[in-house]
Amino acid sequence: MEPSISQQTSPGLAEPVKPPKSQSPWALARRKFLRNKAAMISLVFLLLVCAMSILAEPLTMPVEETAKINLTQMSKEPSAEHYFGTDKSGRDVFARTLHGGKTSLLLAFSITSAVIALGTLVGATAGYFGGWVDNALMRFTDFMMNFPFLLFVIVLKSIFIESSTGTLIFVISVLSWTGTARLVRSKVMAEKENEYIMSAVSIGCSAPKTIFKHLLPNVMSTIIVQATITLAAMIVAETALSFLGFGVPMNIPTWGNMLQEARSPDVLTSKWWIWIPPAAVLTFTILSINFIGEGLKDAFNPKSNR
Amino acid sequence: MLQYTIRRLIGMIPIIFLISVVVFTLAKLMPGDALSGKIDPLNSDPEYIEEMREKMGLNDPIPVQYVRWMSGVVQGDFGDSFIHKRPVMELIGDRLPNTIILGLSALVITYLLAFLMGRYSGRFAYSIGDYLISAFNYLALAIPSFVAALVAIYVFAINLGWVPASGSIGSGVEAGTLEYYLSKAKHTVLPAIVLGAMATAAYTQFLRNDMIESSRKDYVRTARAKGTKESAIYNKHILRNSIIPIVTLLGFDIANLFGGAIITETIFTYPGIGYLFVESVHARDYSVMMAITMMLTILTLIGNLVADLLYGLVDPRIRLS
Repeated sequence: MEPSISQQTSPGLAEPVKPPKSQSPWALARRKFLRNKAAMISLVFLLLVCAMSILAEPLTMPVEETAKINLTQMSKEPSAEHYFGTDKSGRDVFARTLHGGKTSLLLAFSITSAVIALGTLVGATAGYFGGWVDNALMRFTDFMMNFPFLLFVIVLKSIFIESSTGTLIFVISVLSWTGTARLVRSKVMAEKENEYIMSAVSIGCSAPKTIFKHLLPNVMSTIIVQATITLAAMIVAETALSFLGFGVPMNIPTWGNMLQEARSPDVLTSKWWIWIPPAAVLTFTILSINFIGEGLKDAFNPKSNR
Repeated sequence: MLQYTIRRLIGMIPIIFLISVVVFTLAKLMPGDALSGKIDPLNSDPEYIEEMREKMGLNDPIPVQYVRWMSGVVQGDFGDSFIHKRPVMELIGDRLPNTIILGLSALVITYLLAFLMGRYSGRFAYSIGDYLISAFNYLALAIPSFVAALVAIYVFAINLGWVPASGSIGSGVEAGTLEYYLSKAKHTVLPAIVLGAMATAAYTQFLRNDMIESSRKDYVRTARAKGTKESAIYNKHILRNSIIPIVTLLGFDIANLFGGAIITETIFTYPGIGYLFVESVHARDYSVMMAITMMLTILTLIGNLVADLLYGLVDPRIRLS
């Protein structure tokens, strides 16, 4: 509305004053997010954790080295040589924490991508087409929701005995896409009533094109927030499963596998340096992801003006 | 209401049927079968095993086996445990009371703490106490339950020595005595707090936000204008409205508690259903595994129904149909 008003009030000017360019919703969200202190600190922390995990090998030692059992260096307290000390098999805890972070984060990111992709696909299809497609897909989603997550991951994992990390990604993804599907469906159903969708359809856009080019960009903010929540949940899922012994194979360091050492009373009682580092990094990583998620939610919400 | 409940219960039958098909299929995919539980370890003669298989009907077509298994399940017979050499239902019956005690304690602690903290935070929003509670909530929501359990054991059981670190009952305590109940309570309190921590944080935050929102509503202004005491406004008018949504979450809690019990019970070596499940997975005791899976899935279904029913019960605006 503004441009027309400004033109009317200044008819004498030779050149019409260019209206100030209004910011896109994305730019607005970015500005709001950058001003959110908790979210920004969390983002820096998360990036730091990611960077150190990725650079685990140059920073410490190759992953094969971390698996080597060193009987002369058993359960050493933190020192200049081993920043976080060594565990009961004489393996450097600092190096294992970094390498563990790489595995845990990589797994969580892969699962999250799979979950979001699957959930969005199902949700968008159901929401866009409606009718019997919606009915069938949502019945299926409701059915999948009945299965207790942890229980079925463990059951499925015990069927695939010679399992790799790939199986784990598959099993967890298959059981966790339902929430995203429901969310995306409800958003798509609301969004498709808009006129721009009708015009896209009437000029002959195919269904996939309408969904991917016109609908999804407009529900993207919801999907991004959902992805952050999922990411935190998946880190917990992976580490919890590894901790119980149903996740990543024991020889690969992950935060969950490292924490498994704390199940022996001796380590838990008197060798705190073996389990506190992965526990602390894990908790603070999830905390920072939660803050980022909250910041994003806030930034995308036009009603909030913090 | 009654009609709706009955309709929902009838609607659950085909879903339970489908779930049983899934569970049975998974059981068939697993290495080992019902025979493994009955086999005599001293007699592994292939001919004898084949004879036993034939006798037990394990060579019948899959659908026939399914019908037989299902008719057993309907009568509460899940077969025998391979490790414990006992009927599965007996085994579960032994452990179930422990899990129920743990779950109920967790529920009571969750709702009590969430009520007290949420009420305080909602009334004195943006005070130091509120910020402290918020900080606790963020931490409780972020910390994975198994890490929380480790920290709790480390601090309260090992360093402070207030409660035991594992088990569900002290050794040499006689059932029925006061000592027995005290020991039971002492063993249960720590896992119960850990099990309920995440829900506590979520409900506290929920109650707080709802109270802050309510305090800006017209009926509160009216109450103030009439000269109602501030404490009465909060305790009577606002709290009553804000407590409703939390009660409806009870149904979801039921399913979540049993799921969460898998992790908590394992760490505290608390002999309940969750620990039994993990034990039987490690020991490849499939009949126990499948029975627990089936039970907990049905429990989830019931939990969802309870949540829906409570929702309609406490909020008359929602029509259940």
